[in-house]
Amino acid sequence: MSISLTPALALQGVSKLYANGTLANDNVSMEIAAGEIHAVIGENGAGKSTLMKLLYGLEQPSSGRILLHGRACVLRDPRQAIAAGIGLVPQHLQLVPSLTVAQNVVLGCEPTRGLGQLLHGRAAVQAVSTAAQRFGFQLDPHAVVGDLSVGARQRVEILKTLYRGARIVMLDEPSAVLSEQEASALFASLRRMAEQGLTVLLITHKIREIRSACDRFTVLRGGCVAGGGNAQDFSDAAIGAMIVGRTLSAASAATPARRPPGQNAGALVGAHGLTAKRADGRVVLSGVSFEIGAGEILGVAGVEGNGQDVLAHVLCGLRAPSQGHADIDGAVFTSRGVRRARAGGVAAIPEDRLHDGVAPAMSIIDNAMAVQYHQAPLSRRGWLDPAAMQGFARGIMARCRVAAAAPEALIGTLSGGNMQKIVLGREIASAPRFLIASQPTRGVDIGAAQALHEQLRALRDTGAAILLISADLDELLALSDRIMVMSQGEIVAHFPARQVDPGVLGGYMTGALHAAGAAALLASPFTASHAQAHHEEQA
Amino acid sequence: MSEPTAQALIAQQQRRQILQQRWRLPLAILASLAVGFAMTAMVSKEPLRAFLTLLTGALPRLQWSPEEGWRLLRMVRFGAVIEDAVTLTFLGLAVALPFRARQFSLGADGQMFLAALAAAAVSLYVPGPAVVVLPLVFVAACATGFAWGALPGVLKTRYQANEIVTTLMLNLIAIQFYRLLVSGCLRDPGAGFLVTPLLPDRLILPLLLDKTNVTVMLLLAPLVVGLAWLLLMRTTWGYEIRLVGQAPAFARQAGVPVERAVWLSMACGGFFAAFAGVHISNALLKRLPVDLTPGLGYEGLVVALLARNEPRAIPFAAFMYAYLRTGAQAMERTTDVSREVVLVIQALMILLVVSERLLPRLAEAWRSLVLLRRGAP
Repeated sequence: MSISLTPALALQGVSKLYANGTLANDNVSMEIAAGEIHAVIGENGAGKSTLMKLLYGLEQPSSGRILLHGRACVLRDPRQAIAAGIGLVPQHLQLVPSLTVAQNVVLGCEPTRGLGQLLHGRAAVQAVSTAAQRFGFQLDPHAVVGDLSVGARQRVEILKTLYRGARIVMLDEPSAVLSEQEASALFASLRRMAEQGLTVLLITHKIREIRSACDRFTVLRGGCVAGGGNAQDFSDAAIGAMIVGRTLSAASAATPARRPPGQNAGALVGAHGLTAKRADGRVVLSGVSFEIGAGEILGVAGVEGNGQDVLAHVLCGLRAPSQGHADIDGAVFTSRGVRRARAGGVAAIPEDRLHDGVAPAMSIIDNAMAVQYHQAPLSRRGWLDPAAMQGFARGIMARCRVAAAAPEALIGTLSGGNMQKIVLGREIASAPRFLIASQPTRGVDIGAAQALHEQLRALRDTGAAILLISADLDELLALSDRIMVMSQGEIVAHFPARQVDPGVLGGYMTGALHAAGAAALLASPFTASHAQAHHEEQA
Repeated sequence: MSEPTAQALIAQQQRRQILQQRWRLPLAILASLAVGFAMTAMVSKEPLRAFLTLLTGALPRLQWSPEEGWRLLRMVRFGAVIEDAVTLTFLGLAVALPFRARQFSLGADGQMFLAALAAAAVSLYVPGPAVVVLPLVFVAACATGFAWGALPGVLKTRYQANEIVTTLMLNLIAIQFYRLLVSGCLRDPGAGFLVTPLLPDRLILPLLLDKTNVTVMLLLAPLVVGLAWLLLMRTTWGYEIRLVGQAPAFARQAGVPVERAVWLSMACGGFFAAFAGVHISNALLKRLPVDLTPGLGYEGLVVALLARNEPRAIPFAAFMYAYLRTGAQAMERTTDVSREVVLVIQALMILLVVSERLLPRLAEAWRSLVLLRRGAP
């Protein structure tokens, strides 16, 4: 690692005070050398996103300086940032699905000077394949982006920044949507970029990535720099302590107390051959069968977009399956609409919290009562009871320890973690027998995630069945009793959560491995945990 | 900088939001009036007098004469302000309710025309004492408005027909149907033009102010506004309407009957437009002419926009709108400034009121400056 004397990027005493009084960055100073992979890590709300916005010209620092290659610079908008050689790979990829890789990469600065489309296209393809080769990206410039995996799309986004001349590439939580294999491929590519003198700034909240992929790191906590250094000099635990400013409670570190197997003999929830098609006839969910016992958590692992969202929609009643059904204690609840499903004891935490989980511009009260508003005591004969509504919201806020001024506060003003606590509290308040939890701790800080996990465990201990859909393998392994893996709308593997290796899960998630006809019924056999054993079994 | 707790910060933020909400309207009005004055100054030889006429022309004038003592003059003009404000209050509600469910219903016009027709028909043909017939007039009008409002709602939920298109088309149908009946079976053959017979006196709403058409409808208006507020804020249906308007995907996920909320919001819009119809037939005009001008419904849209779809703010927005309009007429009559200036002021006002971020931005910049200076070591 060659570290030149002038850092590629330096921040000197940068502060950002938002007009609402939030001090998101407080006197942040850091230096990032050319040719290094530097991680900025911290909990949600620690100021990572703000820092990124400052560097990309989306926000202006209230005080302090940003130095690029030793020269102070002012980035008024992203265009200036790009011109200064800073590129951003956003967490939610922003590509045109109907265009090819090459077209997406050059979009907005196409290589053309009033010449015909043909030349324009060819030059673009050439530029893209050159760049792809240089950094070891496996990408077909002619492929249509809509057909690519998330990992490949991310590579397209990276190429996009490089094509625009970025020398400093910022990636916002790049591994959030990737499987283990895809993530390691990404980090290999990043390493290659760094070796060629590019600077990579990785914004993440995964400790594991620091030590496996980064040279140095900076920890943000409460808007301030809480530590940093060479990645190899610190243990995971030491970095974790810097991030939270306290040692994690024993609950998350130790293996959670699981219900002893066999205690709950019968299945509470059963899904039988659930199949769903898109409007164009493509099958997106194919013959999914599983059972969950009372007091059991069934985890669903899988790379996003492999039918988990469809499964969640079918189970919560938003969408009717084209075949198959699901029942609680024998009472079928699919194909009957959301309200009937909920009346039957189903509850759901939607994946996209801000869109499907809350009404951000309404109060905590209005959000807390959204499921039960039509029942006593919240309303009687069509009339709402304001006192009962307020009490109900207060109850949820107290039970879930939500930090908010008052139940009248707009829920959109809360942090992601507090918002999610209310979402979960609301679903639990309806005393569900079956909870579908999709990405319950996505974008939530570690402290809130712990609290949410405790709530889920408590719900499980009351005898509810939980289907936990999560892209976070650590979360799945920590909470689930059994795990099923979904790929391309099918169940491709079924494991007891305690005996599965993340690497093996990753193999099934990416489709490298496949156990034909797998199901996650209580009586279903478990898939062998090792690829070899699996092959032997088949032979 | 000291570390304020999250709770204190949130509370602070809320207080500021409320403050901004409160100041937005007056500031928007002041700013647009200032620009209006600048424009007046450009086109007028005596801008001050013209502008004063605009601002005070709608007010009655107190005059003292030795013979008659104190007298209020220009009551007709001020009466017109109140009459307009009442009509616009109902029409504002008619637009605001669907808006709260995020339905851009523009059907207030048609609903009002048909409701006026129903009110007039019942008044003309149902015999009996006023105590019985007058409630019947209201019921008939409201039922008509409700049904005509529900129609585009059902078209939307059943057939995904865009409500902007359907309500505009239904307006045309309603207005032509109104003209057909007024020039046909409801026509007064004795009148020299196409108009219904005068409605019976006992069914004309009682007057409140002499020399004007200000009737008990003025007292009914706050009650109807209260009713709309209760419906939105205190009933499960209203909650559904608000939730669907704020976050439709979330409402669906939570099991709210989204379709019902959609058509109900539009039907309730028609219900409130009906009061405007009764106001026109049984208070203002006392008979229905064939050339009743369409387009009042769109002024209701403006009022709803000014009030940001908050029922309790609608009467004030309606009054302001009516006040400016009457003042503009006075200005046009007595000075060298045409009323187009007022149209510009109104347009500016709407622009400023609906620009949510305009004022907060300025306030934001100012605050961070102050805070930084105070926080700097």
